[in-house]
Amino acid sequence: MKTFALVLVLVVAATMVIGIAGLPPHGDPDGPIHTHVGARYLERGVAETGVRNLVTAVLLVYRGFDTFLEVVVIFTALVAVLALPSATRRPPPARGESTAAPRRGSDDAVPVSPVVFFVVRLLAPFIAVFALASLYRGHVTPGGGFQSAAIIGAMMIALGLVFGREHAARLVPHGAKAWLQALGPLAFAIIAFVGWRLTGAFLGFPADEAAHALREAMVVVLEVAIAVGGAVILAQLFMALDAPS
Amino acid sequence: MIAGAVLEIAAVALVVLGVAFLLAGTIGLVRFPDVYARAHAASKCDSVGAGSVLLGVALHDGVAFGDLKLVLLALLVVVSGPTTAHALARAALRSGRRPSTRDPAGPA
Repeated sequence: MKTFALVLVLVVAATMVIGIAGLPPHGDPDGPIHTHVGARYLERGVAETGVRNLVTAVLLVYRGFDTFLEVVVIFTALVAVLALPSATRRPPPARGESTAAPRRGSDDAVPVSPVVFFVVRLLAPFIAVFALASLYRGHVTPGGGFQSAAIIGAMMIALGLVFGREHAARLVPHGAKAWLQALGPLAFAIIAFVGWRLTGAFLGFPADEAAHALREAMVVVLEVAIAVGGAVILAQLFMALDAPS
Repeated sequence: MIAGAVLEIAAVALVVLGVAFLLAGTIGLVRFPDVYARAHAASKCDSVGAGSVLLGVALHDGVAFGDLKLVLLALLVVVSGPTTAHALARAALRSGRRPSTRDPAGPA
């Protein structure tokens, strides 16, 4: 068995090394990634999209379909988790290893550590500001909707751990919960149809100079929807995995 | 001129110290016997290791206003790292993990 594993590792490693040897040299200006659409993105990306961060420009404008479906994938993941029976029922306690100390009722009965409570309360405002800055600056610097969603979602999870589930659930208005969870796909669909009306292409962005403000507004709507919708989905995923019976 | 050299030496010393702590912490994370000792080793990586590397980078190439970001980052690491180690160890204790009392020198 060990010999087989060793041979397998060597064969896979050799295949990968051969594959890497076939790649163009790093930074080669004639490499495939620089000779197709990349040059056009770099040359005209800012003028065509109005987004000064070219990563965001590619993500939301040039490759909008890709991102649309990414948002749908995240939403589908939440739907799948909520549909699982184990997401709403507590699994039986694990057997085996250390059962030395008696478990004190359910985990929710364990008081929150004062250290963690203090540090989360101390850091939460900074995390929120960082998320907003990352969203707002995503136009110019690395950042944007997805990053912001991850940061806000993490903050909501941390607050939920410290203040309790009920308290954290109040961060998301109950009536709007379903809409917020679907915000990413919904916003993409609306923007896609708006683009269709304007340009004749589904998810098209008006390219002429006069439509600059409109184009920018479309991108901003998408960014905010990705951030808010993604954050709600992330927090909801965590709460669902951890929900009491 | 002299001040610049002193700053540079301090920067390199801080980075080297940080890397040494990171290395020791990583070895500890792999080699230590139980979750408590591992959390102890890993939290040294975070606070002292990453903290002093960040401070060293801030001092490197002279002190500028932008270095304030690195100091803030170091502060964040120093606050959040030990908190994480504390939370981990507390969760391990609450879920009934016994600290290892095996003596590596004596009979296993």
